[in-house]
Amino acid sequence: MAALSVELNPGWPSPLPPVGDLLHVRAVGDNDTLHFLFCSLGAPTLLLVHTNSSSSTLEVDWTQFLTRKVSGSLRVEPESSILQSNAIVFSRLLEYDDVNNTANPTSDFFPPYDLRDFTWARLNLSGASALLCGAAATFANGSLCLKLTVFDSEGRDQILPRLLHSANSSQVEVWLDGVLPQATRSRFLLELQAVGGAYPLSRVEVQRSIDDEFTPSIFKVLQWLPPLNRTYGGSGFLQWKPVSYRQFSPVVEDGTPAQHSPPRPQSCAEESSGLIRAFYAEPETFGLNVSFGLAGEPFYNSTRFFSWTVLLGVGLPPMDSFSPAVLIMMAVGLGTPMILLLLGGVCVCIRKRASASSYEPIN
Amino acid sequence: MADYEERQSLLGDEDKGRQAAEAAGGPGRPLPAICDPGHLLHRIVVLVFMCFLGFGSYFCYDNPAALQTQVIQDLDLNTAKFMQLYAWYSWPNVVLCFFGGFLLDRVFGIRLGTIIFSLFVCVGQVIFATGALVNRFWLMEVGRFVFGIGGESLAVAQNTYAVNWFKGKELNLVFGLQLSMARIGSTVNMNIMGWVYSKVAALVGTPGHTALGASLMIAGVTCLFSLTCALVLGFLDKRAEKILNKEQGKTGEVIKLTDVKDFPFTLWLIFFICVGYYVAIFPFIGLGQVFFIEKFNFSPAEARAVNSIVYIISAPASPVLGFMVDRTGKNVIWVMVAVITTLAAHMMLAFTFWNPWIAMSLLGVSYSLLACALWPMVAFVVPEHQLGTAYGFMQSIQNLGLALIAMAAGAILDTRGYLFLEVFFCVCICVALIAVVMLYFVDYLKGGDLNMSAADRAKLLKESTSDAEIKRRSSRVSEGELARLAHMSAFGLRNRYLSRLGAQVCTHHLCFDSIQTEIPLFPNSVFKTSHWQCICF
Repeated sequence: MAALSVELNPGWPSPLPPVGDLLHVRAVGDNDTLHFLFCSLGAPTLLLVHTNSSSSTLEVDWTQFLTRKVSGSLRVEPESSILQSNAIVFSRLLEYDDVNNTANPTSDFFPPYDLRDFTWARLNLSGASALLCGAAATFANGSLCLKLTVFDSEGRDQILPRLLHSANSSQVEVWLDGVLPQATRSRFLLELQAVGGAYPLSRVEVQRSIDDEFTPSIFKVLQWLPPLNRTYGGSGFLQWKPVSYRQFSPVVEDGTPAQHSPPRPQSCAEESSGLIRAFYAEPETFGLNVSFGLAGEPFYNSTRFFSWTVLLGVGLPPMDSFSPAVLIMMAVGLGTPMILLLLGGVCVCIRKRASASSYEPIN
Repeated sequence: MADYEERQSLLGDEDKGRQAAEAAGGPGRPLPAICDPGHLLHRIVVLVFMCFLGFGSYFCYDNPAALQTQVIQDLDLNTAKFMQLYAWYSWPNVVLCFFGGFLLDRVFGIRLGTIIFSLFVCVGQVIFATGALVNRFWLMEVGRFVFGIGGESLAVAQNTYAVNWFKGKELNLVFGLQLSMARIGSTVNMNIMGWVYSKVAALVGTPGHTALGASLMIAGVTCLFSLTCALVLGFLDKRAEKILNKEQGKTGEVIKLTDVKDFPFTLWLIFFICVGYYVAIFPFIGLGQVFFIEKFNFSPAEARAVNSIVYIISAPASPVLGFMVDRTGKNVIWVMVAVITTLAAHMMLAFTFWNPWIAMSLLGVSYSLLACALWPMVAFVVPEHQLGTAYGFMQSIQNLGLALIAMAAGAILDTRGYLFLEVFFCVCICVALIAVVMLYFVDYLKGGDLNMSAADRAKLLKESTSDAEIKRRSSRVSEGELARLAHMSAFGLRNRYLSRLGAQVCTHHLCFDSIQTEIPLFPNSVFKTSHWQCICF
C-alpha cells in the first residue's frame, strides 16, 4: 500500500497554464517514492521517476518549462535519490488503407497525425485518475482520449482487458472515438516511444500464459523491457495484452488482435514531448508501432472506435495467477474420486476380512 | 443387446428367396444377381445406400463448429448464442428418443418413417441456411430444431434397416461401416466447410451472412443426397418384400415408462457416466476451433483438422476396440480407463502448451473405448424386456445434458475464458469418474456381474441356460416319475432324500407294521402310500 497525493500543475498559480497541463501523483512508500508525471504539453507523456527517499519532491521552473526548449526545467529533488526513470510518449497516430484486407501496414499510409499538434482539452481529474481528450485540426468530430489511473495497491481493472496491476504501476487507456476515417477500409496504428534513463526499454518479450480467465481467449502478455543483462529488480517496464476493443464498454466479442512492431532506436522524442525535453538531457529512445486489427477482422469504420490499455511501472511486472474458483474446482473434482477409491478399497478389505472368518457355506 | 436372431428377418431363408426370385423373374429365368434381394451383391448395393443415409445428417450437424468464427462474426453473436444452435438440436431428442421406435413400428412403418425423417433433416438444414441468408437468428434456431427432430430418429431407422437386411456376424460389420460413414461425414465437414465458405465469399464479394447462408445451402445438398438414398432404400425394401414375401422390418423396441422405477442403482450410475462424459466431448468439439487458434497459435485450417481428429480416430478405432472389449470383458475397468484418459487429455489441454494433437488423439481413442464398453453394460444390468426403455432413457438424458451444458459452455466462455471452460469440463469428467468408481465398488460388493471377464460371462450364460434346460426337462417327466414312486415304500423315499443330504443310511432294518400316510409332493396333489414301520440296527 502506498499513500497517493495528486496535484495538478504544481507551482503554477491559478488560473491554469496557457497550454498543456501537468499532473503530478506522488505514491509514497515506506522508504521510497514513485512520482507519476502526466503532461499534455506537446505529445501526451507519462513519466515515472523512482526515488529511494520518501521525501523527494518535484521542482518545476514553469517559464522555462513552457518554452519546451530547456532541459532541466523539471527536476526531482534530491537528484541523487533517483533510482531510475522511464517514460512513454504517445507520439503519432497512423492510418492506412487496407484495400486487400491483409492487415499488413507497409504501404498506403495516409499523412500521419502528430499528437503534439493536437488541441488538448484540460485534464479532467477524478480521484486517482485523469482523463485527457484532444482532437487534430482535421477531425470534424471525434477525439483521441487517454485515461491515466494511478494505483495504491494491487488489484485488477474492472473492464476488459482487466489488466492486473500492482502498487508500483499506473495504467493508461487510449481510445479513438468517432473520428471519420479517410477510407472505408482503413486501420490504425499508434506509435509509442519509450524513454529510459539508465536502462532504456529495448526489447519486447512475449509471455505465454495458460490462464485467460480475465481476458478470455487471450493467452499472451507482452512486456517491453530493458536489455537482458539488466536485472529485473529495479527497472521499469511496459505491459499490455495484444488485444484492442471495438466498443466503449467491451465484451469478449468486441476484441480484435493488436500487433506490435519490434522496437527501434529513435531520436526525436524530446522534440515532440515537452516533458521529455524538460526532464532528460540526452534521452535514449526506442519506438514501436501498435497496430489494431488483423486480416479478416472488421475495419475501424464498423464501429468507429478502438481502445487499448497499457501498464507502466517499476520492478517486477505483475503476473496473472489462477483464481481461487479454479483451484477449488480442480481440488474438489480430483479429490473426490481419490477419496472414494480409498473408502471403497477400505470397505472391500473389511468385507474380505469379515467373510474370511465366517462359516463355510454348505454347498 | 437384443436377440436379433429371434426377429423375423427379410432373409430368413436364402433358398426360399432364390425360388421366389425365380418365380418373379418369370418361369425358368432367375433375376440377375444384382437385382436379386437374396443375393449378396444386391445386399451390398443396399448397404451402400444404407451407409449414405446418415451421411447428410452427420455432415450438417457439425456445420456450426466448422464455421464458428464466421457464424459469430457474420451474425454478430456471442458464444452463448452460438451454442444455442447445438442446444436446439438436442431439445427435441429429449422426448423423441422414447417415441422413435414407436413411430417407426406402429405409425409410419420403417420405409415411410425413414423418408419422413430424411425430409425433416433436409427441411431443417434449408431453414437453417435461409435464416443465415436473411440474417435472422431465430429462424436458424428453428432450423436446427427441425433438423434435430429428423437427425437422431434417422439413426434408429438406419439401424433397423441394417438388422433387417443382415444378420449374425455380418451385422457387426454393417454397424461398424455405418459408424465409420457417420464419422467420415463429420470429418469431411470439419475440413471442407471453411474452404467452401471462402470460395463462396469470394464469389459473393464480401464475407457476411449472405456468404454464410449460401455455404450452408451447399452443405444442404448432402441432406438432399441422403433423402434420395432414403427413397431408393424404401423402393428396394418394398420390392424385396414383394419378391421374398416377408413383412416390413420392425425396430422391436418396447418402451414402458413405468419401468423406470425398477431400474437398479447400477443403471443410474451408468446414466451418470454417460451424461458426465459426453457433455465434456461434444460441446468441447463445438468450441474447439477458436481454442486451438487462440491458445496454440494454429492456423484456422490446422485448428479444424485437429478438431476433427477425434472423429477420424474413432472410425477405425471403434471396431478394433469393440472387438477387444468383447474378447476381454471387464467392461467397468475399460470405462474407468477411458474416463481417466479423457481427464488426462483435458488437463493437458487446459494446463500445458503441449502439442494438442497428442491430447486430441487420446481423446479420440478414449471416446471410442467408452462407447464400446459403456453401452453394452446396460444389457447386463437390465432384463431384456426393459432394454428398450433403458436405452431410450439413457439417450434422452444424454440429450438433455448436452442441451443444457452446450448453453452453459457458451456462457462460461464469454465471461470466464477457456481455462475456466476446460476446468468445467474436467469437473464433468470427474463426475463421471466418481460414478465409475462407485459402480466398480457397488458391483464388486454385489458379486461382480458387470466386471466379469468374457470367459466368465460365457460360462455363466452356459450355466444359466443349462439350469433352465433342466427345469424344463424335469417339469415334463414329473408324471411318469410319480407313477414310479407309487411302488416305493415311504422308507425308501426317506432314504432317497436322506442320501441326497449326505446323511447315514441303514443297511439293515426290520419292518413289522403297515401305516397309511399322505405325503404332499406337489402343491395340488398328494401321494398316498402304505408302509411298514421299520427300525434300523
